[in-house]
Amino acid sequence: MFEYLIFFTFAAIAVIFAIVVIIHRNTVISALSLVVSFFALAVMYVLLDAPFMAALQVLVYAGAIMVLFLFVIMLLNIQKLPEAPGRPIHQFFAWVGGFWFGFLLLYYISKAAIVADPPEIYASNARDIGLKLFEAYLLPFELVSIMLLAAIVGALVITQRIERSIRPEEGAP
Amino acid sequence: MIPIEWFLYLSAILFTIGVLGVLTRRNGITMFMSIELMINAVNLTFIAYARQLGDLHGLIFVFFVMAIAAAEAAVGLAIFVALFRHRETIDVDQANLMHW
Repeated sequence: MFEYLIFFTFAAIAVIFAIVVIIHRNTVISALSLVVSFFALAVMYVLLDAPFMAALQVLVYAGAIMVLFLFVIMLLNIQKLPEAPGRPIHQFFAWVGGFWFGFLLLYYISKAAIVADPPEIYASNARDIGLKLFEAYLLPFELVSIMLLAAIVGALVITQRIERSIRPEEGAP
Repeated sequence: MIPIEWFLYLSAILFTIGVLGVLTRRNGITMFMSIELMINAVNLTFIAYARQLGDLHGLIFVFFVMAIAAAEAAVGLAIFVALFRHRETIDVDQANLMHW
């Protein structure tokens, strides 16, 4: 019973703060709400017997990625940028289509209900995950590290300032 | 143990909120955060099914999804920084140079 209490409390927190993310006009408040939502999801991972994933969720998502978001928001100083409303017909179809999609998602999940009980023993600590990661998944793991390197280099190249004198039409001395 | 359906319902609701955010907002950063929300909803589904099937492969997949989400966030935010430098806006409707 206690499990259910925790589940519904944190599920409500996750959903409410996720709605705040997409509703609120202030980008900083959106980002902080997303952090709260991610923390609530980390609690869900603990309920699913995956404490290592919960730690990763807090460290990588709530820690690193959201700090990156906040950093960019603060750097560009775009907390309150006026947002032109989209065309009404566009907005209408977006809301109707989105809700219809969500309804179908819930409907088909409820139709494909799972009756089997999950296994009692479930070893998902850091050791088991590490053994799988470094034995069966060694090549994808290394590829991901190369991809992260490429992302770092790409981000640096995209954001670097282009010197004025490089452009020919500006008239280099 | 809470039945796995509840986690799937929560994941579906969060995914739908993310879809609505991407479709209805024009602010690039908010759309990006909605995409992160969708990624997390899918991660929750992976972990729920990993628990249901007693299989660690789902957790490994979540690990890779997190790494790719980090890379995507870095490059995407760099694109928005570059866009802001050129256009003084992050409204995705204003980024229409390649629009037909």
